[in-house]
Amino acid sequence: MATITVTNIGKTYGKDVTAVDDISFDVADGEFFVILGPSGAGKTTTLKSIAGLVDVDKGAVSIGGVDVTSVEPYHRNVAMAFESYALYPQKTVAENLASPLKSGRTGKYSDADQAKRIDQVTTTLGINHLKNRLPRELSNGQRQRVALGRVLVRPADVYLLDEPLSHLDAKLRAAMRAELKQLGAMSNTTTIYVTHDYQEALALGDRIAVMRNGRLMQIGTPEEIWRRPADTFVARSLGQPEINLLDGVVDEGRIRLGDGSLDVPVPADAPVQRGDRVRVGLRPCDLHVTSDEGSLRGRVVLAERLGRNIELTVDVAGAQLIALTSGRHGVGEGDAVTLRIAESDIHVFTPGDGDTSRLGDKTLEAVQ
Amino acid sequence: MALSMSRAELLPGQRRWSIGAVAADVGLVIWFVFSLFPIFWMLMLALKNAEQQTTTYFSFSPTWSNFATVVSEKGTQMTSVDFKASLLTSLLNCGGAVIVSLVIGIPAAYAAGRWQYRGSNDLMFQMLSFRFAPELMVIVPLFVIYNQIGLFDTKVGMIWVLQLVTMPLVVWILRSYFQDLPEDLEQAALLDGYTRRRAFLMVAIPMVRPGIAAAALLAFIFAWNNYVFPLILADSNAGTVTVAITKFLGGGGQAYYNLTAAAALIAALPPLVLALTIQRYLVRGLSFGAVKA
Repeated sequence: MATITVTNIGKTYGKDVTAVDDISFDVADGEFFVILGPSGAGKTTTLKSIAGLVDVDKGAVSIGGVDVTSVEPYHRNVAMAFESYALYPQKTVAENLASPLKSGRTGKYSDADQAKRIDQVTTTLGINHLKNRLPRELSNGQRQRVALGRVLVRPADVYLLDEPLSHLDAKLRAAMRAELKQLGAMSNTTTIYVTHDYQEALALGDRIAVMRNGRLMQIGTPEEIWRRPADTFVARSLGQPEINLLDGVVDEGRIRLGDGSLDVPVPADAPVQRGDRVRVGLRPCDLHVTSDEGSLRGRVVLAERLGRNIELTVDVAGAQLIALTSGRHGVGEGDAVTLRIAESDIHVFTPGDGDTSRLGDKTLEAVQ
Repeated sequence: MALSMSRAELLPGQRRWSIGAVAADVGLVIWFVFSLFPIFWMLMLALKNAEQQTTTYFSFSPTWSNFATVVSEKGTQMTSVDFKASLLTSLLNCGGAVIVSLVIGIPAAYAAGRWQYRGSNDLMFQMLSFRFAPELMVIVPLFVIYNQIGLFDTKVGMIWVLQLVTMPLVVWILRSYFQDLPEDLEQAALLDGYTRRRAFLMVAIPMVRPGIAAAALLAFIFAWNNYVFPLILADSNAGTVTVAITKFLGGGGQAYYNLTAAAALIAALPPLVLALTIQRYLVRGLSFGAVKA
């Protein structure tokens, strides 16, 4: 168990491919820290920098208060599950799991100790019956468990998990996510978990760091990241369907959107004045369909049933808003509806193209 | 468009006949006969006796005696070179050269495949350029040097000089194998607590075994077929079979074409046997299932 401190690390591949650009964060002892970002954001490079598999160009990494920036990977006492599983193809599952115990750098184990540890792990992960199989004889879900087993079988200061669930199908992924959360070892050991799936991040993380183009956009608890996204990128990264973003102008306590016939209240914490141009973010799941009178009145253009929910595309004063409804209201295409949103669910960003930052909440703004 | 139309009209399994396709097949058959004919001719020659070797084409009375003569005392007296001994020398020289190339070349290929540094490509190209240069270009200085340092006509000297042939081959073939190998497996070994050397031996080497087999076989064949180096740098002690074969052509006296052919056929056997033995290692597929791309 250990804390991790990453200070201003940077890594450039070749001449001009910047994988990681000046990243800093701290992970507390025993914390489950999730790095979330799209592919190519530099998540894996960050993880491998901590493992020592990537030599950083600048910056420092320390584990347990000791600077390990120039320490070889096999001396760092970290365990990592690779996105590709990286199981030794010529070794059986049991031999794969024994590998970290036999190296002599994770402690000394007698044959009986090794067998006992392997047994514990395979039992926990439900792969007892696969011990004598070769990796090529396993399904992806089973390989993933073995890769995870190779992490859990040994004591380590830090667990690093690189998209461990990304190759699994949706159902298995949800099941494994729940299992991961229940693993005792995971809750006791400092863990950094890399994913591009916002649901995994929100479900598993004690804290989440959102990355983009090699930079950290925001660090916070799932609650903070969800409720107070530092910019439109973070806001768009979380939630499916994506958050609605509309341009607007501030008026007497209201923000006029679109062609002006549509408005929402100004959130109490937004430091805006009359006449300011802003961008407003409204999450589809925060938009409720009601029969009351309201200012967000529109017509349903498209209604798609997605299992439990219905995704409505509503034309409101010339703007297309996506809303999620429970589907019990029986709203169909062509119907006139009124949408309601709580004032606290309205996100206000600075105006502009591309990704813009949140207005207000200075303390929670992007860490950089 | 026209092509895909005509394809679409074909029934499954139906063959498309056209002048072009027939011409291509005929051309291939002609090429096949053309390229195999020398081997066929040599086989016939090896079965002819001394009287018939220059007087007959396809009609003759075949005999195995040429093969016996080549390896017998009589053959040694005819050429003043012990063919059996030269066969053994060839095995030692080429085997030694391949082993040295593998021991040095595998780590070199690994380093070249894994680490890019300033000038690494130049270094690799430099190594390959030994193969571009004609052996005759270096043979005179080598002859002088070998005489001076006492390596002339020694097996050690032959093994050393054959590195010029085998080493670039081994390094270049294996470098691409190592480059194709995903780094994740070695990295996993590092995090399991193994040093880079152990990761290389335990993880990387087993994965490129088919490549090692292929490189070793090719290197052996190239070394085996080498003629210029043993011709100039060796004599009775380290002389190889390629040189011994030519002795049957005679140095001014009668040329025994039938014996030469028989000797050449015998000399072709070891590489053939080696190729058949390691054939199963040449099959790739060990890495299947290890890493999902």
